[in-house]
Amino acid sequence: MTLDVSPVSPVIRSVSPVLADPVPPRRTRSAAAPDADRSPRAQRARALLRRPGFVLALVFVVLVVVAALAPSLFTTYDPYATAPVARLTPPGAAHWFGTDELGRDLYTRVVFGSTLTISAALGAITIALVAGLSLGVVSGYFGGWLDAVLMRVVDVSLAIPGLLMALAVVTALGFGTLPVAVAVGVGIVPGFARTTRAEVLRVKTLPYIEAARASGATRSRILLRHVLPNAWGPVAVLAVLDFGVAILSVAALSFLGFGAAPPAAEWGTLIARGRDYLVTAPWVSLLPGLFVGLVVISLNHVARTLEEVR
Amino acid sequence: MTRLPPLRPRRRARRLVALTAAALSTVLLAAGCGSGTTGAGSVSQTGAPHNGGTLDLAFWPDNPAFACVDPFQTYWIEHRTVIRNFADSLTDQDPATGKIVPWLATRWKVAGSGKSYTFTLRDGVTFSDGTPLDAAAVKTAFDGNAALLKDLPTAYGGVYIAGYAGTDVVDDHTVRVRFSTPNAAFLQATSTTSLAILSPGSYAKTPEQRCLGQVVGSGPFTLDSYQPTEGLELSRRPGYAWPSSLNAHEGDAYLDHIKVSYVAEDSVRVGNLTSGAVDVAWPRNPFTPEQVAQLQGSGDTVVDRSLPGPSSALYPNTAAGHPLADAAVRSAVQKGIDRATYAKTIYGADYPVVQGPYDTTTPYAVSQAAGLAYDPDGAKSLLDAAGWAPGSDGTRVKDGRRLTLVEAITAETPGDVLLQDQLKQIGIEVQLKVSTGAEQPAVITSGAYDLIGTYYTRADPGVLQWILDPAISGSKALAQNSQTPATAAKVEKLFSAGTEETDEARRAKIYAGLASTLVQDGVSFPVAERVQRVGLAPQVHGFRYTSEAFGSFYDVWLDS
Amino acid sequence: MLRYVLGRIAQALLVLWAAYTVTFVVLYLLPSDPVALMLSANNVQLDSLTPDQIAAARARFGLDQPVHLQYLHLLLRALHGDLGTSLTAHIPVTQLLASRLPPTLLLSSVAVVLALVGGVALAFLAAYVQWRPAKLLLTRLPSLGVSLPTFWVGLLLIQVFAFTLHWVPATGNLGWRSIVLPAVTMAIPTSASLAQVLTRSLRDTLDEPYVTTARAKGLSRFQVQLRHASRNAALPVLTILGLLVGATVTGAITVETVFSRIGVGRLAAESVLAQDVPVVQGIVVVAALAFVLVNLVVDLLYPLIDPRVVHAPKVVRP
Repeated sequence: MTLDVSPVSPVIRSVSPVLADPVPPRRTRSAAAPDADRSPRAQRARALLRRPGFVLALVFVVLVVVAALAPSLFTTYDPYATAPVARLTPPGAAHWFGTDELGRDLYTRVVFGSTLTISAALGAITIALVAGLSLGVVSGYFGGWLDAVLMRVVDVSLAIPGLLMALAVVTALGFGTLPVAVAVGVGIVPGFARTTRAEVLRVKTLPYIEAARASGATRSRILLRHVLPNAWGPVAVLAVLDFGVAILSVAALSFLGFGAAPPAAEWGTLIARGRDYLVTAPWVSLLPGLFVGLVVISLNHVARTLEEVR
Repeated sequence: MTRLPPLRPRRRARRLVALTAAALSTVLLAAGCGSGTTGAGSVSQTGAPHNGGTLDLAFWPDNPAFACVDPFQTYWIEHRTVIRNFADSLTDQDPATGKIVPWLATRWKVAGSGKSYTFTLRDGVTFSDGTPLDAAAVKTAFDGNAALLKDLPTAYGGVYIAGYAGTDVVDDHTVRVRFSTPNAAFLQATSTTSLAILSPGSYAKTPEQRCLGQVVGSGPFTLDSYQPTEGLELSRRPGYAWPSSLNAHEGDAYLDHIKVSYVAEDSVRVGNLTSGAVDVAWPRNPFTPEQVAQLQGSGDTVVDRSLPGPSSALYPNTAAGHPLADAAVRSAVQKGIDRATYAKTIYGADYPVVQGPYDTTTPYAVSQAAGLAYDPDGAKSLLDAAGWAPGSDGTRVKDGRRLTLVEAITAETPGDVLLQDQLKQIGIEVQLKVSTGAEQPAVITSGAYDLIGTYYTRADPGVLQWILDPAISGSKALAQNSQTPATAAKVEKLFSAGTEETDEARRAKIYAGLASTLVQDGVSFPVAERVQRVGLAPQVHGFRYTSEAFGSFYDVWLDS
Repeated sequence: MLRYVLGRIAQALLVLWAAYTVTFVVLYLLPSDPVALMLSANNVQLDSLTPDQIAAARARFGLDQPVHLQYLHLLLRALHGDLGTSLTAHIPVTQLLASRLPPTLLLSSVAVVLALVGGVALAFLAAYVQWRPAKLLLTRLPSLGVSLPTFWVGLLLIQVFAFTLHWVPATGNLGWRSIVLPAVTMAIPTSASLAQVLTRSLRDTLDEPYVTTARAKGLSRFQVQLRHASRNAALPVLTILGLLVGATVTGAITVETVFSRIGVGRLAAESVLAQDVPVVQGIVVVAALAFVLVNLVVDLLYPLIDPRVVHAPKVVRP
């Protein structure tokens, strides 16, 4: 379901064991240790804010997250009140996105749908982060047979088609936001695990890790205080990118019939419901679809800019 | 990083312009080449029927859980249309009047108030493999079905031959079917696709083989191939000479072939018809009003027929502890459904409004419109009187419990949501609980629902027993839950009387009383009429619905 | 080298077995009884049958044995090439897969080729074009490809190209014309991802000193990009091929549903919903096999394309 496409260098190495033996990374920027002095951060923030596209995308994403937390701030209509008289009205002054087949205001349903979709995607990413980081750190740091076993486990979940596994999980756990989050999250874990592992492999060869060991730090302390903070950089970018993938996966599952209980208005359900009216009332499916696309593009842009401006 | 100076701006700009121009002209050229196709709206040549042509038909997806074309085993509506065209039945039923007319049998005699049926068979009928359709073949057919029922008690056709005791071959063209308990509905059953007669060779095959297409009938077409969930092909059977009187011609069918495809997406199926890729679009759920307008706008015709049998209705769970155990709540729900708005919103302005627990094409169906009138004020006062006071968020509360009804569904439809909103207006909260087909059995048997919908298709009112009679219902739990004991006794008596009564007038009275009881006591909450809507391309002529709202393609011919 | 190859093959087999077992476990954790499901497909619930009838139904489908015995039984049969019989279609799983696999393979191959062509062309253009607005557009365009839901894009393409312009049919399995739209729909997200990876890689490669040298020696930008940079930048693409195969089966599920095509993807979705365990396991085996094979091939090809990989000094692990 997910393709590891962001930081190129760690991913190439992480996807195949042949390439897992670290070759000195082909980087044009030096790997900075965040524990160093603060001014590079401030410089970076200023560089980011100077890009209008980044700011725009970030503001939009923040607005969407706020809408997910407090949807009633953005609209006064009720997302569930049917009004058969106003069925399938085109977008206009009264209804910005038009109305759907039961006369409900579409813009309101999109806003209220953000809560469910964002929480499902967030849940998926959280599950993937926790599982992926743990797997990657343990596997990368300890190496040896533990590494081989854990990476084969990751291989297995890559080998089983993601959507198939998601279907099976949702059929097993039932409908709703949580099972969908679990299903999507499980599919994203491999990418996170591999990326983390590659970073850990790079980080653990650095001198200060050896210094920490020499000065008597316990393994867990090294892992938590030294390895993890340095290794999570690329994964953070991947997380933002995969947030968009999670949203799309949730939409795909809604299309196939799994999703939040009706009449809840998840984005995927909105697009799926509207597809019967693509010819006769295209806004019912097009506008939510474009909205989802816009959100995912913004997330992608934010992630890429964060990665480019280091 | 050192970079060499880029190309001079003017050269760069010129290259870009050239590239864009090339791209644009390619697109325009291609568009010009591609737009020369004929849409479905072109004027067609009508005239006399003539032979030839392939009819392309698009159904909704095949049954993934049980893909079968065996007449006796399958309940899948679309396949029953297919079966109607390759297998014939002993009798036929007039869609307009419900009267049983001769087909493979020319005369019949009923004796013992439904315990014995004697049929006289038509001369000269053969199956498409050449074997004669005589009394022995009919005996093999019925005995074969009964034998299947022993192995597979869940076979759909079983309820049609309830109480079957055996078949006797009186002579080459006369056969007697015997029952141990009276079966007044058997005559109508002989006109259905479920009791269509297959060749003796078909009954020598295993049930699985029959399901997968190894079936031979005596119909105007033969089943050439069946790829489960992929497609079906039929072709004309030469030498067909025994249509029923309900058909428009005699002799061979006009069409050379019929090709069936399964299209999952409704909008794609409609688009296939409007763009001319198929000749017939056959959806499971009726076209939306917008789709009807779209079809009619491109020159296609939409033909309707209500499917006989139970209407699209919800059945309650009246077990103790559930809100619907209270008759007042049930009456309130009955009054709180705005059926006219439902029909208009979901299906369009010209869609029939449901009239009772049965669809209007079911024999003996009488309108219960009085008992189904939309009366929200009456509903509210009933609930007030029963002690359900309106709560803070609109949902009524009594003794600390909210008036919540759980409706078990497998897929959300706009109709479910509309109903939810309608009942919200009178203070009832409907929770739409979606579960997969896999989980539904558990939901039903554990009683974890308050409202559930199901339906069957059969042109006989006795069909409702398959939902409401615990003895023969497909789901004992659903049947027992749907009625309080007092009502159950009343309903059972009426059903038995109806099954055994052979006098037309008396039978009509019994079923009218039954429908009224079901509505008054809140056993069935009719929501919508079940209508089969079919889209036909302009070049298709001669289409006919059978009494069961299945399609007969025997008289169909295509413009050349 | 031989030890390495054998080791990789052994690991591949291990992954295959693990995928099979995990699928079995997940499917058996599914909530309901397959027998109940099959009966309810006939509108009959378990409670209306006698215990004898239920037991007979169970025995018919081999569902009356304890779970671990069923698993061993299935595994042993699978090792002999017998993947069991479909619980719903009543035909051998191998036969079912044999009829459904070729259309999906064809569709996926066409989609992968389209994705390669599209992604490479896009990345090449993005690296070659110097005009900033165009370059920015081309770099950001792939984001659009991975941001839109596949089924939605498919339906839109159908409405535009099949029903409005009449260029290609919307559904059906006949010939090249009905493959175009599904393949394009599947190719869009994968080509976008490919373009993203390749753009990044090309940009890094074009920053290398040897590229500057080549330009200084008089080669045009086009020649440099084509003959020198591409080969080095293409390495990540090969790596991603393995992931593309996995993404293909996923994409096939939605695409085959939308376009009503015959194939393994739609079969997978239907079988999971119908809890047809043998069919789902068969599909997983095939998909896992494909994934593992492609990765194996990639691992073996890589040293041939980039000799440094095998000869790079190993970093000593602490």
